[in-house]
Amino acid sequence: MTRVFLLRIDWATLISTLALIGLGILMLQTTSSPEAQGLENRAVQQAALAGIGLVLAISMSQIDYRFLKGLAMPTYIGGLLALCLVLFIGDASLGARRWFDLGLIVIQPSEIMKIAAIVFFAKHLSERHESIRSLRSVLTSLGIALFPVSLILLEPDLGTAVIFLCIWLAMIFVAGARTWHLVLPIGIGLAAFPFGWFFAQDYMRQRFVMFFNPSSDPLGAGYNVLQAQISIGSGGYFGQGIGQGTQSKLEFLRVRDTDFIFAMLGEQLGLVGTLGLVLFFALLITQAIFIALRARDTFGQLLAIGVAAMLFTQSFVNIGMNVGLMPVTGITLPLVSFGKNSLLVTLIGIGFLLSVHTHRTSAPFRQQSVQFVSGTLASVRSRIGPRQ
Amino acid sequence: MANFQQQNRRGSVGYSHPEARPGAGRPPADGSRRALMLGGAALIGNAALIGRLWQLQVIESEKYKEQALRNRAHTESIHPVRGLIYDRNGESLVKNIPVYSVWLKASELSADRETPVLSNVAALSGELLEQLRFKLDQAKQSPAEAIQMADSVPRESALAIEERQHDLPGISIRTTIRRSYKHGNTLGHIIGFTGPIPAEELSIYQQRGVLFDEHVGRSGLEKTLQRELRGRDGARRLEIDAFGRTFQEVSSQTPIVGSNAVLTVAVNEQNAVREILARHLALRNQGAGVVVVLRPDTGDVVAMVSLPDYDNNVFAKGVSNKDYELLASDPRRPLINHAISGLYPPGSTYKLVAASGALESQVILPESNIKCDGQLILKDGWAFNDWLPQGHGLVNLERAISESCNIYFYNVSGGNPYTNLTGLGNRRLSEFERGFGFGSTTRIDLPSEAAGVVPTSGWKKDANLGPWVTGDTYHSAIGQGLVQVTPLQIANMYAAIGNGGRLMRPRIIDKLLNPEGQVVRKFQPELLGNLPVSDRHLRLLQRGLLLAVNGSSGTGKRAQSSYAVVAGKTGTAEYSGRRDPEGRLPSHAWFSGYAPASKPQYAFAVLVRDGGEGSFAAAPIARDIVDYLMTGQMPPLPQDRPDYVSPDRRL
Repeated sequence: MTRVFLLRIDWATLISTLALIGLGILMLQTTSSPEAQGLENRAVQQAALAGIGLVLAISMSQIDYRFLKGLAMPTYIGGLLALCLVLFIGDASLGARRWFDLGLIVIQPSEIMKIAAIVFFAKHLSERHESIRSLRSVLTSLGIALFPVSLILLEPDLGTAVIFLCIWLAMIFVAGARTWHLVLPIGIGLAAFPFGWFFAQDYMRQRFVMFFNPSSDPLGAGYNVLQAQISIGSGGYFGQGIGQGTQSKLEFLRVRDTDFIFAMLGEQLGLVGTLGLVLFFALLITQAIFIALRARDTFGQLLAIGVAAMLFTQSFVNIGMNVGLMPVTGITLPLVSFGKNSLLVTLIGIGFLLSVHTHRTSAPFRQQSVQFVSGTLASVRSRIGPRQ
Repeated sequence: MANFQQQNRRGSVGYSHPEARPGAGRPPADGSRRALMLGGAALIGNAALIGRLWQLQVIESEKYKEQALRNRAHTESIHPVRGLIYDRNGESLVKNIPVYSVWLKASELSADRETPVLSNVAALSGELLEQLRFKLDQAKQSPAEAIQMADSVPRESALAIEERQHDLPGISIRTTIRRSYKHGNTLGHIIGFTGPIPAEELSIYQQRGVLFDEHVGRSGLEKTLQRELRGRDGARRLEIDAFGRTFQEVSSQTPIVGSNAVLTVAVNEQNAVREILARHLALRNQGAGVVVVLRPDTGDVVAMVSLPDYDNNVFAKGVSNKDYELLASDPRRPLINHAISGLYPPGSTYKLVAASGALESQVILPESNIKCDGQLILKDGWAFNDWLPQGHGLVNLERAISESCNIYFYNVSGGNPYTNLTGLGNRRLSEFERGFGFGSTTRIDLPSEAAGVVPTSGWKKDANLGPWVTGDTYHSAIGQGLVQVTPLQIANMYAAIGNGGRLMRPRIIDKLLNPEGQVVRKFQPELLGNLPVSDRHLRLLQRGLLLAVNGSSGTGKRAQSSYAVVAGKTGTAEYSGRRDPEGRLPSHAWFSGYAPASKPQYAFAVLVRDGGEGSFAAAPIARDIVDYLMTGQMPPLPQDRPDYVSPDRRL
């Protein structure tokens, strides 16, 4: 039976997940102070939580994901309540209320809401795949999505709100909404930008300006971005060596355990490290897309698309911020950045992927193993072909 | 196993068996296509990231490596202690006083801590809170740079702020050196003072590595010896972290401590000479004057006084507007060292130049007589007078010098249209003037020395003063008109006459010592040139000077000292200004000479600005100075001397 179990896991997903978590723990180890023993050490914390999360994900792979449908509504409503609650009794830091500090653990409702929303959108959209081509359905769906988005904006957390919208957009796109129905809200959103600018919080405007010209105020808001680019650039091909870079060692690079962990990796491991990391993300996301393609039903497909969108938008926004292609948003790098909520939630998402994979449509085993190795488009086409 | 799995899978779900519940059916083919599109978009996004990473880590890597280095590399200057200044007898003339100032780096002070930090600093330093707020606003303009919040805070406050450093982010204490001068007024003009770098010289000092807030020599020897006294900065190359904390020291270079300077001046003599001049000037309304005393053999400066003077401590501390206004608005210009920077007509003290020229050029023989009627009227009608209306009669060189006969020098310089005497002429006269050191600086080691003017026909034309006339030559010969000299030049000329004809470079710095007391540099006496006079003629000049003081009808009788034989020459240099009730022009009073006449130890020039006649105003001062220098005792007050004539009662 062991063999059966092993074969029913999507190895590509699992290995790239493990690789990304490993890179993160490696970086956290270099910044943890030597005095931090046992669980005080962030690397150890991250590893422990990764262990729990992986057990959870692998277990989930063996459970039919469709049981999630029953949880969709309660978790979504529960998540919304938590988001409301955090606005009033959450712990404030740096002008924002984003989490509950329960002593032992810190709970960040917006992180949990991500996974709850993916499940809820997947159920909601899969149940409407006949009517989804009407504008009304799209707007209804958008309305539902805007509940968490507005609550998160109130925290305020612009970055996470944008991630939510992207996840929703990807899911409803794959669910079959007319393209121009989607272009419409985006267009309205862009047209509303000047008004948004008027109502935006100062920090949001500042970040926006800073994105376009990080060196305009090198010691102010642009400092972190500039230092991140210096860190990555100074890494060169092979990096300064693990635990070596002066940018991270001498703390020119700030928030390097979370937002700017990629920059630290860039400095210490160079292009080899950053390229490896980006390729592992690409593999993971490609794999998630393939899983979506092979899903047995629309719910599973949308679930996989939701997780893929979450992984891609977050990794792209975070790495983009590190290399100066995206504005500063405080979005962490999934699986890599230090953060218990984020790591756990992402691994649950990976669990969804694995489950959708395990309970996929029948396919010749040979083809699967070929795809495991190559993942070429040829095999994809062979699978799509008959359906058209 | 594999087969089992395959079959199981095949059996459970298939294309043709969509379940009845909504949303449970096979995903639409359209959805798959769209999913692939999203996958493609994600790959494009990742490709963009890889492209950017290639740019950062390969193409521009060197640039970022350099920036990372600049981030952490920090060079800290170690300032050497400024060298001290000693007088000839080894008395220390200046002290270094530590001064504490409070500085703020705005980048290190977060907005929410501004108020508590500023109120703490205000309480500890005694500054006004509003003032500090204003400075904080300024500091925010350049947050990375430290800005001065308070200057010269008391030591206790500085220590208190330093102790509470961790409660006061961004605040730091800097210790700098301010000079304190022990003999403020006495040596103010010589030593000068240090002060902030003037804006126009900022870039020059920056190139030399001098910090913008450092005080540098602004005048006097502090300025001349700026480099030597300052020494050279040491440097500590540090690796610092993002918060400016030292991570490790990469290398260190100890500073080269500034040298100590030893002067040729002795404080007690300088002080006494100043006191003597001050006593004489005190008898006048708005008295102003200069005394320079040199050692004829070496050119060493014994004393150099320009009154009124100022206390250089006022400037070293940072002069207040009120004090500065007071000094700057005084018409006597106390801030200027008139001994080296003041330009005056030398009057009759200058006659020896024309005398030498006439003798050397054989315009006249020493024993030849020239008739003085008290007046010489040129054919164009211009009349040139002697100071003695009835004239001196027949005068030879000796008498011409001792009695200061103007007509004699008119004849030998510009010629006489009624006799066959042609005179030296302007060109030859100016060559001799230059030969005596006029028209160029003496190159004393003090800043702002004036060169003076040796007028020539070319110079006069360039200055748009019209064509050269015989009268100009006459005036030059008697040190009037266009001639301009500094008192130091006159003293130096008389030192050269006294020492046998060697024109020395005046020496005010004797040597530089390192902190261990070893001589780093000795300033040797330096010959500027020899006077263009033969020994035989020089002796004639010396004899004329001797008679001028000691002869029965000499003009400098009031310079006779009981302790040494004085040789010297009076001068009364008229200058254009408001005429007195009798219609006479105002004049500067001069006396210059040396003593003892047989083997001179001191040469001097005394100038009383607007002092009237040299014989009354200046000669007695010279006598008192010689008395003091020969005995070491202060002479009696000028008004207690039997030959005293009040300035109000003089003709």
